[in-house]
Amino acid sequence: MEPPFLGSFAVLLYAGAEALSIRSLVKERQRGLAPLLLAAGLVLHYADLHLRAAALHSVPYRTLSGSMSLFGWMLGIAYLLLLFRHRERAVGPFLIPFVILSTAMGLLLPTGGSPSGPETRGALFAFHVTLAILAYAAFTISFVLSLLYLIQNRQIRRAKTGVLFARLPALEVIGRMNRTSVTIGIAVLAVSVLLGALWARRVWEGLADAKVGWAMTTLFLYGFLLWMDRRGWEGRRVALLSIVGFGVVLFSYTFVNLYFSAEHTFR
Amino acid sequence: MTPAAEGHLLLLGWNFRAAGLPVRERVAFTADEVREGLRSILGRGLLSEGVIVSTCHRSEIYGLVGEEGAGEGLTKFVSEWRNLPAAELARASFHRAGADAARHLFRVAAGLDSMALGESEVLGQVRQALRLARETGSTRSVLHRLFESAVAAGKRVRAETEIARHPLSIPSIGFELAEKVFGDIPERTVLVLGAGESGAAFARHAAEAGVKDLRIANRTREKADALALRVGGRAVPWEDIARELPAADVVVGTSASPEPVVRKPDVEAAMRQRRGRPMFFLDLAVPRDVEPSVAGIYNVFAYELNDLETVAEENRVRRAREVPRAEAILEEELTRFLAWFRNLAVVPTLTDLRRRLEEVRDAELDRLPEAEREPFRRAADAMLSRLLREPTRRLKAETDPARKLDRVEAIRHLFDLDRGQR
Repeated sequence: MEPPFLGSFAVLLYAGAEALSIRSLVKERQRGLAPLLLAAGLVLHYADLHLRAAALHSVPYRTLSGSMSLFGWMLGIAYLLLLFRHRERAVGPFLIPFVILSTAMGLLLPTGGSPSGPETRGALFAFHVTLAILAYAAFTISFVLSLLYLIQNRQIRRAKTGVLFARLPALEVIGRMNRTSVTIGIAVLAVSVLLGALWARRVWEGLADAKVGWAMTTLFLYGFLLWMDRRGWEGRRVALLSIVGFGVVLFSYTFVNLYFSAEHTFR
Repeated sequence: MTPAAEGHLLLLGWNFRAAGLPVRERVAFTADEVREGLRSILGRGLLSEGVIVSTCHRSEIYGLVGEEGAGEGLTKFVSEWRNLPAAELARASFHRAGADAARHLFRVAAGLDSMALGESEVLGQVRQALRLARETGSTRSVLHRLFESAVAAGKRVRAETEIARHPLSIPSIGFELAEKVFGDIPERTVLVLGAGESGAAFARHAAEAGVKDLRIANRTREKADALALRVGGRAVPWEDIARELPAADVVVGTSASPEPVVRKPDVEAAMRQRRGRPMFFLDLAVPRDVEPSVAGIYNVFAYELNDLETVAEENRVRRAREVPRAEAILEEELTRFLAWFRNLAVVPTLTDLRRRLEEVRDAELDRLPEAEREPFRRAADAMLSRLLREPTRRLKAETDPARKLDRVEAIRHLFDLDRGQR
């Protein structure tokens, strides 16, 4: 096995980005440096993923280790895109820890994978899994944004105008960013489910699987969130709904994976 | 204070701490009066440089005099000029000399001497004072440098500490909160109820914040029209307030209406029409303009005067916490100014000048073989002494301190004598 040198270095860079973004939250200086470190970390992380993929002859999602690492990478990419789109750095300190955590888990968990069966080869399947992971990254961002929304909402209502109040974005801005990430999450997850369905028709008989059910639940819940966002629930209720949605995502990523879905996990 | 300097700084002032309003009113000067006053003061030889800082909270005369104790006649002059008994004027005044006078100006420029700690307006007023004095020709090297240093120090304090950061006025606190709800205040619609004093303050603040859609409702339509015209808003009929609500993001209540003008059912209807987009209410009216139950509606943010006053108090404390850091910055800048000022004296300047010329001489002599140096050194020394004789005599004979300091400053500048000082 390759020593996880690149991955470790990427985690170090992420940690540096986190430290800098916390500092810029408090001091409001050198604000461009944290995203730069993050981007450098993402490049190294990509190289790490690439090496893993070369060793496995496939996108490294088949092991929990690989998919955690991939998830961390997607989260970082998604955050950078969001930063680019909304020019709002204050979210960084709260989001980068998730990038660090899942990348580090990807390093620490055992990497040994079973030889890939015919069910898990091919571009269709690769896209199916990769997109699903990207969707979960988008929902994670929405979860963090929703927590920030609730914190900022509380401070505004109580007229607590401290450091966090000053640095966190306006409620409407957080709401808009949340809308962007949920929309991306839904679109990507829908495509992923569709590709999965096409694939399943080829290798399985039917589609009756717990994980598919939970993916549909997730889709429905976030779809409902977006709908209600324009129907008078904008604000705290949407934030709470997004937190519930993230609970469902976590549940289907862990419990359903481990106990309910025998066929749909490939370990 | 600065024993080596050829001049002494002094300050005679009346501010909100020492002087009551009746005296302060009499010594508040308009721009024209400042010019007139400076001309008379310099004309009578009371000061050799002078600047007058006059704001609503203070009038301060800064001056440069040749010897300590000069400038005694200043109070007498002001008493004659403003037609106030000299004794009363003297009682209400305060004096500073030397470094303390400079320190006071630095504190004023930084907003440390202001009633609203850290306020920024005073910096412009200090700058304006310097401008008026320059127009009148009453400043030369010293006061010019003093005031520029004070302005620079004031800017540094505001940039490097949080003393000017936390808003103190009720309208700015209200808009700070609204900004954190909406993010883009200029694009929002602000509805001000009431066109009285505090309604006008809010409308002005909104206009300054760049709000494009500003609406004003007042029971007497004419007052709303007049205010709207002044701040660039639009007057809306008092009866139409309920109809204006759906468009309004921020509603400020300041009217004298005996019963609430914004009722819960109206806000509920407005929120339905807005599809739940947030609304922001500031109720400063007594009795209330906005029914208190409005605060319970989903996505409605509602505040009253008390809430904002609490924030103002917290912010005052936050600013006060920054005072030690601000003072440290001022002392740093003050030290720099005083070092410059102290060097601005005839004897050290002539010593420095001689040393500079000797450096040049030695550099040239070094290029000769050692055996040949002595005759050249003697010639060069003779030339040096001859060269310095006349400037020395003239500098020492100069009686006007401002002119003397000007010349010292010119020599220091032209021969780069302050090199390595900073």
